[in-house]
Amino acid sequence: MKQKTLTQSLSWLHTWSGLIFGWLLFAIFLTGTLAVFDKEIDAWMRPELPTQLIDQAEAAQRALDYLAARHPDASTWNIGLPTERSPSLSVSAGEQRRGGGQYLDPHSGEPLEARETAGGGFFFRFHFTLNMPRNIGIWVVGLAAMAMLVALISGIVIHKKIFKEFFTFRPAKGQRSWLDAHNATGVLLLPFHLMITYTGLVIFYLIYMPAAMDALFDGDRDALFRELRGAPAEQRAEAGRQPTLAQRGEQSGERAERQNGASERPAGRGERPNGQGGRAGEQSRPAAEAAPLTALGPLLAEAERVIGPVAGLSIQNPGRSDARIEARPVLGNRIELTKGQSMQFDGVSGAVLRMPTESRPSQLTQRVMAGLHFAQFGGYPMRWLYFLCSLASCAMIATGLVLFTVKRRRRHEAEGAVGALLYRVAERLNIAVVAGLALACVGLLWANRLLPVELAQRGGWEVRVFFLVWLATLGHAIVRPWLQAWREQLGLAAALCLGLPLLNLAGMVRGSHFWLEASAVALGALLAWTCWKVGQPPQERPARRAAKTLAEAN
Amino acid sequence: MNLALIASLLLAYAGMLGLCLGMERHWKQLASPRLPAFCRRLCAPLGGGLLGLSIHAASFVWPGGMAVVAWFGLISLGGLALLMLLPYAPRLALWLPAAGGLAWACVYAGL
Repeated sequence: MKQKTLTQSLSWLHTWSGLIFGWLLFAIFLTGTLAVFDKEIDAWMRPELPTQLIDQAEAAQRALDYLAARHPDASTWNIGLPTERSPSLSVSAGEQRRGGGQYLDPHSGEPLEARETAGGGFFFRFHFTLNMPRNIGIWVVGLAAMAMLVALISGIVIHKKIFKEFFTFRPAKGQRSWLDAHNATGVLLLPFHLMITYTGLVIFYLIYMPAAMDALFDGDRDALFRELRGAPAEQRAEAGRQPTLAQRGEQSGERAERQNGASERPAGRGERPNGQGGRAGEQSRPAAEAAPLTALGPLLAEAERVIGPVAGLSIQNPGRSDARIEARPVLGNRIELTKGQSMQFDGVSGAVLRMPTESRPSQLTQRVMAGLHFAQFGGYPMRWLYFLCSLASCAMIATGLVLFTVKRRRRHEAEGAVGALLYRVAERLNIAVVAGLALACVGLLWANRLLPVELAQRGGWEVRVFFLVWLATLGHAIVRPWLQAWREQLGLAAALCLGLPLLNLAGMVRGSHFWLEASAVALGALLAWTCWKVGQPPQERPARRAAKTLAEAN
Repeated sequence: MNLALIASLLLAYAGMLGLCLGMERHWKQLASPRLPAFCRRLCAPLGGGLLGLSIHAASFVWPGGMAVVAWFGLISLGGLALLMLLPYAPRLALWLPAAGGLAWACVYAGL
């Protein structure tokens, strides 16, 4: 046996791990790219909701009026306020914390019926669970992410002319061009690839590496989180529970004091219904007196001053003297992922009871990395940077997959029956994964508008359409000659993208989604160009030879 | 803010073009053969300087840490744009930075 060099072994590793996980990775990256704009896709998929932005205080007042009329006795009111990214107003009563309650017209306060849809959230969930049971999916995606890291590192080592060919792209030269495109997208976006893959793994650190949690906290997640936060209890666990109200007041006062120095203390202490509030909490519920809620306008302004744009409010015990208002910031006022942070006000006086907690360094590190992956910060310019960078990542994976088959196209006969079969399987899977998934994604958007609105389990049907289309592309890729299959699937995906604005004719649409539709058209043009290019090589052969002779003459 | 964003993108592009011109292969491809050789050696440091200006422009759009994150994205995308322009429109690839200089001047004049 001949000893292999390091480069040869790594090259083998890069090729095969890249191929096996490349299919999976392409699906993860493409849906992740779309998930950058998940809220915008969400809004597009609910055309019944208006998109006009409205003053938050005004919208909050409409929501309050609605809730006071319909749910006067609820223990908690939740309001999802219109924000820059999702301009809809939603309300719910009871313990439910997330949005997805009743949508309201922010101008009139009338309830709106939005269609049931998988929403842009489907891309987000698929991105990290592949639509499998959550934990299995997370493990599979984690494995793929590890393979991606392996492919990145081995790719750097085996790339011999990493600096010399930094800017080299020679189109219309068959295998050479595919390799150039793969190398260039890989090298130029290397910081992005490494960052997005590594931070993706860091998000689920407790699932992937639970050893420390098991050893130190007997696997008790909540205990670990309490320790990480450095506070004895967290408001989320006891939100809305009466007996702990006095205790909570105590803790929140202390926390505000610890985080913000003595200056916050008088505000917290002075305005809190001290002993009286505590006693009211310990007694049964109706004992608290009725009291009007403070005006939300100044409260929102104060919250915005401290935590940045506000995404939603929860109001506990509305209309009573022990009312509490919690304001949650939109994600992305900073790089750190601030999920679960909030600021608490007294519902009657409007005084600040608890400031948002600051993360400790260890937790901050993890949250900043998660924030880097979630890309919620920096507004739309940053979102577009992430979107374009991840599109380039998709292109890198796709060109790598194609390169595998192009490289072997000429010599697969020499590799025997198994080699030929494997090569054919890879070729077909490439079509179904790259072109087919693009088709399935845009197919989901079409299904959203074309499936009947009154269909039961409509969101589930949209997802079913997505997978049926994807399966169909696999069948199509198997029965058609490979070049035709590429062209037909890319062409159809391009046509569906280009035709996306036409779907507005299919039903009533309130509000405009200009940017989403313009982007879809641009992506459609890109797909059409790819489709056209894929069909080109046979005609270009003479030109290529001419170019080659020219190059030799130089 | 949008002008600063465009300026930082174009500066990132110009910086990458500088690095690119510093390489013999691309110098031959793009530059006039009459230019003396020392010009080529100036290109890489100049490109580096422009990349520095790019992060400065980005800091007008985003606060500190975010600007660094964005800058990595900007130079990657700038490099990718250059890569696509080189074979298809080499002349345009050379002239884009002039527009970048203009935008940059506007940003600093406006501040």
